[in-house]
Amino acid sequence: MKRKNLILIGLSLLCLSLPSFALAQVQARVRIIEASNVSSGNDPALRDVRDQLGSLFNFSGYRLLKDVNLNLAGNRPAVVQVHPGRTMEVTLVGEYRKMAELKIKLMRESATILNTQVRLSSGRTILIGGPRHGAGVLIFVLSARF
Amino acid sequence: MKDRCSVVSALLERYHDQEVTEEERRLIEDHLSQCPSCRDLLSTTAQIGTLIKLPIQEASERADFDRTWTKIRREIEKREPLPWWESFGDRLKASLFSWKRAWIPAMAAALIVVGLIVGPVLLEDQSPLKISSVEYVESADYNVMIYEGEKGNVTIIWLFDRSDEEVPAS
Repeated sequence: MKRKNLILIGLSLLCLSLPSFALAQVQARVRIIEASNVSSGNDPALRDVRDQLGSLFNFSGYRLLKDVNLNLAGNRPAVVQVHPGRTMEVTLVGEYRKMAELKIKLMRESATILNTQVRLSSGRTILIGGPRHGAGVLIFVLSARF
Repeated sequence: MKDRCSVVSALLERYHDQEVTEEERRLIEDHLSQCPSCRDLLSTTAQIGTLIKLPIQEASERADFDRTWTKIRREIEKREPLPWWESFGDRLKASLFSWKRAWIPAMAAALIVVGLIVGPVLLEDQSPLKISSVEYVESADYNVMIYEGEKGNVTIIWLFDRSDEEVPAS
């Protein structure tokens, strides 16, 4: 077979293989926030989400407890320790229309208190909130880039 | 015999230059052993060959190729080099010409591939699935509310303690 033909076939195969690329890795950021009406004022570390939180919730104060970056790869759970006995587990399970499919579990001791699967576009945010924490509640802010 | 002579005479020049096949060589040599006129013809052919070859050999022995090549090189060096855009154009023309048969099917294949890639993207459903969406939520301990922000840039999953539920007035 001539060299030109081989080059053409190679290029064609390369082009055809492009659409089949799946998300190999997703960079996720999890911020764990304590929201309460006991304290007032906002944590300076939450400047970028202050307005968003203020427009969504009625709490008087927000405090960042943890800020974790996760490298998610196919079906390998990443675990974030919220505080002793409570963990969050995030797993990249697939891709759907350029959105990452993430499975999220909140665990108390060994019991699963929340099990959910979400589709997240790059740069979008998912908030999971409600579990009690001290005088307030926990809010998990999850965003992803890929 | 005459027919054989005409066949052999047509082959004699090639025979002299050793360009005949093994079969032709056998045929010629067999005929030459019996035919004096063809032998004469072969001898004449050989003489003519020698007559032509000798002066060429003598001329080539006399010729000063080194000097001639020096002259040619000097002439080449005298020529100004082409501007880069002209030489690039020449090379491009040459490469396009050599690829003429290949690039038309290549372009067609490329268009098909582009269509396969771009088509599904253009036809893709532009529904709100573009934003974050919750596929499922399970919780044994909490009541769950899902809220999608108006601008579609945020999704909230809120967990309510079951003890927070309002007790209906009795």
